[in-house]
Amino acid sequence: MSEKKIGRYTRRTLGRLLAGLSLAAYLTSPAFAQDAGTIRVLISQSPWLNSFVSLVDQYQKDTGTKFQLDVTPFGGMVDKMRNSVRAQQGSYDIININAQGLAEMYAGGFLRPLKEIDSSFSLPEGVLDFGGSAHWNASKNSFDPKGELLGVPTNGNVLVLYYRSDLYKQAGLKVPQTWDDLLANAKKLHNPPKTYGFVSRGTRESILFDFSPVLFSHGGSFFADPETGDFSVTLNSPQGLQALETFIKLNKEVGAGNAGALEQAELIQLLSTGKAAQGTAVIAAVADLQDPNKSIVTDTIETALLPAGPGGKHASVAGHWMAGIPKNVPEANQKAALKFLKWFLQKDTQVAYTQAGGIPIRKDLSDTALAGDPAYRFIKAFSENADVAKMNTPLKEGVRMKEVISLYLNRALIGEISAKDALNGAATEMNQILTAAGYKLTPPKML
Amino acid sequence: MAIRPIDATKIERANFWWRVGSLAPAIIVLALLSIWPVFNLAYLSLSDVKWVSGSAVVDFVGLRNFHELFTGEEVYWAGVRNTIIFAICAVTLQMIFGFTMALAVRRASKIGRSVLTAVVLLPIVIPPIVIGAMWRLLLGRDFGIVNSLLSYLSLPQVDWLGDPRFALMSVVVVDVWHWTPFVFLLTLAGLESLDQEVFEAAKLDVKNRWQELRYVTIPLMMPTILITLAFRMILSFKVFDEVFLLTGGGPGTATEVINFSINRVFFAQDRVGMGSAMSLLTIFGVAALIVVANTVVRRRRKQKDAAA
Repeated sequence: MSEKKIGRYTRRTLGRLLAGLSLAAYLTSPAFAQDAGTIRVLISQSPWLNSFVSLVDQYQKDTGTKFQLDVTPFGGMVDKMRNSVRAQQGSYDIININAQGLAEMYAGGFLRPLKEIDSSFSLPEGVLDFGGSAHWNASKNSFDPKGELLGVPTNGNVLVLYYRSDLYKQAGLKVPQTWDDLLANAKKLHNPPKTYGFVSRGTRESILFDFSPVLFSHGGSFFADPETGDFSVTLNSPQGLQALETFIKLNKEVGAGNAGALEQAELIQLLSTGKAAQGTAVIAAVADLQDPNKSIVTDTIETALLPAGPGGKHASVAGHWMAGIPKNVPEANQKAALKFLKWFLQKDTQVAYTQAGGIPIRKDLSDTALAGDPAYRFIKAFSENADVAKMNTPLKEGVRMKEVISLYLNRALIGEISAKDALNGAATEMNQILTAAGYKLTPPKML
Repeated sequence: MAIRPIDATKIERANFWWRVGSLAPAIIVLALLSIWPVFNLAYLSLSDVKWVSGSAVVDFVGLRNFHELFTGEEVYWAGVRNTIIFAICAVTLQMIFGFTMALAVRRASKIGRSVLTAVVLLPIVIPPIVIGAMWRLLLGRDFGIVNSLLSYLSLPQVDWLGDPRFALMSVVVVDVWHWTPFVFLLTLAGLESLDQEVFEAAKLDVKNRWQELRYVTIPLMMPTILITLAFRMILSFKVFDEVFLLTGGGPGTATEVINFSINRVFFAQDRVGMGSAMSLLTIFGVAALIVVANTVVRRRRKQKDAAA
């Protein structure tokens, strides 16, 4: 081959290569990948996924709007969310955010205030906002019902009490009103290893969630007054100590024996196989506990309002999901996303959602088709607990707070340190973190 | 036809450019994927990254992250302690079991060797997520197969994954089960490459199999053993999936390991600066381990050469 020919051949090959690369870059660019009429949703592979999908199918059928769901395991949600909202162009028009990550998304300024998309939009009467967590007040750095509306609840997960009505009947017990009543009931039912009197989650991953209602109902708190922006640490109070001692007592005296390592899947197994007589778990667990293919206690497992503390105060903790619309997606997509969310919040839609296995986000469903149906008997307990549910660490440093507190609580539960040392240690570290982050705080008083 | 004289300089220059050209893609890829991320990590370890109004704000904080890492971050240091215990226990057991199995398989018949190799290698091909699920089913407190067996034998049940006294050792057992085949594979390859004439000659001097193993096989296998040991040590410092799937680092800090701490700080807590400082320190730790292993292997080789 002559030099000229080789040169031509090389130029042609290079030209083809460049053309191919350009085409590949164009085809894989977000602008091409995104169909204008498609709503892209990031959603967790949680028990409520199928019910959400059934609503999406219905909406698609009714309106012709297409959906693209990115179903992701819970552990991978935060990474995908961060990658998308921090990019120049977002990959999702709706992101489902768990209660734990809400403050980070709100405070980071990644979400479009919903009133900017539609000035007439607000959460309808009857929709739960779980301690004001749909709104964010940037000046107070906290959730605030008077703040900017940034989220729409998509699944109402709160902690509730599960108990076995058949065992209660046999032993002549009443639904516990206080934690002391619960302990007394559990002592009567505790017969290990055949039956455990009471179970709750105690791993580092989940102990904070299960301990929070005990703390709140005993009059304790994590921070002085989050609603006014005062995040002075108050966890190590006498009420906090009493709450932690109650929590440890319940798990040690009438628990499964491995409280510090008990996580959600195992707890649901204990309840569904009848090995646990009662326990605290998220309302979403009802789907598994009432499923005859997964549970032998479908007809006898009941739900109730979590017991009150010594002062008669009931409390629960919010572990719900909120949908947010990122700033970095086209305006047309934001409008289409909000239109879908408005439809999602309607009462009829929520009835269909519940019938499909989801946990509703409205508290006014008692006059609907669900009311008389025994399959939805959990709605009452859910509504009661949702009414008294609070966020445990409602600030953008929440995830770090959770890790610090959880480790100390877990160590106290397994007996590595005392309850007093756990609370003092957690409070000291929380105070250090928040002070370093620029919060003006009153230092915690040691127990 | 007149023969043109060969221009040696031209050939040399062409060879030089050929060498540069052929190596360049590999060097560029290596620089982009390995060296640049480490420099980026070093830069981030001296920074604090915050997100304000949807944009990243990177503040230079000097050595503050390292100061905090050395004076606080107790969980990370608990992880360092556990990782060292884990690496020593797991790798020692893997080396003993792996090498013993390789010796046994080498002596087996051809068919027996194929069957045994296939069976022994099985754990290494199972995906980590399956291993996690499988061992949770085996070691679970209330529904685990091991405890069911103990119950059947009227022995007390043990909380393998939930009791701080047993949790780390349970993870070690799973790791030994998972990675012994790796040691087996490498040492078997080493054994099969040994010169059989040496063994024939040694028959005159050794009295039994034990002496053959001690005075012939192990000395000849030492380079392979040391390289396998170094490989496994380095890999065991990277342990993550087994801990993540079996215990989640708990109870307390009983099974916290370095990579678990980095994952929590970097990804869950989104503390990029501190996560980078932890990562950098770990990289240097593992690099030091590689240097030590290399030095030992080289020294042994030199000693061997000198003896020869």
